[in-house]
Amino acid sequence: MGISHLNGDRAYRTVSNSTRAGNTRNLINAELVVSVSWLIKLRWIAGAGVLIVTVVIENIFHLGAPYTMLYGIGVSILLYNLYFYVSEQKASKSNRSEIYYQRLTIWQTVLDWIAMTLLFHYSGGIESPAIWYFIFHIIISAIFFPLNIAFTISILAILLVSGTTFLEYVGILTHQPLSGFLPQPLYQQPLYILGVLGFYSSTAVIVTFLVGSIQNHLRQRESEIIELTENLQRTTKRLQALNECAKIVGSTLELKQVLERMVETTAKAMEARACSIRMLDKSGRYLEPVAVYGLSQTYINKGPVDGLTNLLARETLSGKVVNIPNAPESPLLQYPEEARAEGIKSMLSAPLLGKNGPMGILRVYAVEPNRFNQEDEEFISAIAAQGSIAIENALAYQGIQELDKMKSQFIQMVTHELRSPVSVTRSLLRTITAGYAGDLNEQQRDILDRAVRRIEFLQKLVDDLLDLATGKAQPKLDERPVPTELIAVIRRVIARYQIPVKEKGITLEFLNKCQCEEIRVYATIEGLDRILNNLLSNAVKYTLKDGKVTISLERMDGEVHLAVQDTGIGIPEESLPKLFQEFYRAPNAKEIENEGTGLGLSIIKDIINRFGGRITVESKLGKGSTFNVFLPLEGVEKP
Amino acid sequence: MSKKHILIIDDDPDQRLTVRLPLEAAGYQVSEAKSSEEGLGMVKQVRPDLIVLDVMMDTTTAGFQVALTLHSPDPNSEYKEFRHTPIIMLTAIHSTTPLRFAPDSDYLPVEIFLEKPIDIEVLLAKVKELLPQ
Repeated sequence: MGISHLNGDRAYRTVSNSTRAGNTRNLINAELVVSVSWLIKLRWIAGAGVLIVTVVIENIFHLGAPYTMLYGIGVSILLYNLYFYVSEQKASKSNRSEIYYQRLTIWQTVLDWIAMTLLFHYSGGIESPAIWYFIFHIIISAIFFPLNIAFTISILAILLVSGTTFLEYVGILTHQPLSGFLPQPLYQQPLYILGVLGFYSSTAVIVTFLVGSIQNHLRQRESEIIELTENLQRTTKRLQALNECAKIVGSTLELKQVLERMVETTAKAMEARACSIRMLDKSGRYLEPVAVYGLSQTYINKGPVDGLTNLLARETLSGKVVNIPNAPESPLLQYPEEARAEGIKSMLSAPLLGKNGPMGILRVYAVEPNRFNQEDEEFISAIAAQGSIAIENALAYQGIQELDKMKSQFIQMVTHELRSPVSVTRSLLRTITAGYAGDLNEQQRDILDRAVRRIEFLQKLVDDLLDLATGKAQPKLDERPVPTELIAVIRRVIARYQIPVKEKGITLEFLNKCQCEEIRVYATIEGLDRILNNLLSNAVKYTLKDGKVTISLERMDGEVHLAVQDTGIGIPEESLPKLFQEFYRAPNAKEIENEGTGLGLSIIKDIINRFGGRITVESKLGKGSTFNVFLPLEGVEKP
Repeated sequence: MSKKHILIIDDDPDQRLTVRLPLEAAGYQVSEAKSSEEGLGMVKQVRPDLIVLDVMMDTTTAGFQVALTLHSPDPNSEYKEFRHTPIIMLTAIHSTTPLRFAPDSDYLPVEIFLEKPIDIEVLLAKVKELLPQ
């Protein structure tokens, strides 16, 4: 019983400076386990010792003694030690609790004291040389137990020895001498008894004091080391958490992910039960939960948090770290009952501050009262500062994406509205030029033809713009790239250019270097058609008579390389970087064809990007150009 | 032999004119309806030999609804006598319709899709094909 107390006492002393008892408890438990197994080992020696000494005094010294009892005691010690040994082996395998080990220790001590007292009594009481064996147990208890307990144990040892001696002295217990050991019985000589008991008792007390003091000193050192180790572990953990947060800031721009990883990292680093982030809503007044780790839904949905009337929120948003050591009782809390029900006893709140003022609150919750200290306050401040940067970056990125989408949607809408009247105007003009509205004179026809040409250009521009906008707007689900056969598309597009090529007097060649009749890439048929059509139409357009256009196809590592090469007018070096920009046209291209929108290449670049591929261009002015398209092969992990 | 009758269902009067002029010049009798509702009424009234139908009218897919109603396989359909009346559907691929690319006849019981802007020669050729004299 004393032992369970004393362990509790030690646990308290060791961790009094720290509320994080987890590690320390483990250490004490480990020590207890070690000491139990150590006691068992020593007891083998003690039991065997009793038996050997008995054999020696019986057979070598031929003393008279109650041998049956002495052998009995030796065998009993070995037997109950065997029981403890087996129990301890089993317990270490099944990872038993601390309480189990404490009980085991108590039972061992009780049995040891009984065995020792019996040994003392049956080897002659006050005349017994075994009296000094009590000192072992006194030393052991002074090592393992706090000083007051060790003194209690040594006094118990004194009382047991004195009591047995007294009972033998007055004749209540029969004196069991080792006959032949002493020339005459001394157990009734008061002076001898006083002398032996006096020295025995003082030895017991002095040994307890000496061992206990040294041990106390060591124990103090030990607890300091434990605390330092703990501090070190905590600091490492926090540094890791800060590092983790820095990584989050750098790695992802998805706001939800940023916030969720932050709350989890913070809760774990601070060994707290939960962590949450609330952000100010659009009104800038109410705080909405955006990421939560370790809190129940009931607690999260407890009610609106108003940044103006909620005292804790107001205080935090003003830029301070607020430490609440006694959560349910704090007057700052708007929902004390909910906090009590959730088991929250401490809270630590830090503001998330952006460039334009507070954005939200990072809060950590613990189930222990008085949990957070100044070190924690500094740590949460650092995390909140890192987090604020991550949040601002993510918000800015989100804003840009939304803006880009809105822009695309706007262009799409406007373009669509433009397209319809342009299309009808062209049809109307065509009914006149085709003579369905009566005959025209030559001048009228010429003017109308010019108008038709202008309208046709406008129509192409609008179509291209609409393609570009549609491509940039959210790609629809059914237009996701799927494994698509490429060679058939190439042949179909080439067939389309057979007549123009013949009319212009240039050759068009297809070089299939992959030695196969089918090759599948991640794309859509429409997209591939569009890419090839654009590249081939450009190549044919800008290649002069007797020139050559070559399409080649090659399978490479994980992708397909499609090249469209021409011996045309080429692209000026200064134009190359701008080639894929919207509306850009190289000056020499304008000379060949005045009416081009400059959107074709940016449209196909956009399509190729959506397929997970890329496009490059090489060109030499006057010699020709090569456009290289790389598309991911089917079955290859897409980036 | 009487003139073949063609019904144009389109909400854009200019578009109707550009279809009407060449068809009349080619010797067809032409009627016009400016909404899908009016169109379905006119079908019963004028009993056309062929219908030119715009996709986007009061809703973005109103034309599809008209085509489905007219060519419904339901034997009790009130339009069952027009089940085999050919339809030329005018579509705009470049549009904000939920269906970005024109559906084909597997999905819709329509004979031919023509993409706007309409090429008059193509339109006339298709009409001639569907209505042999």
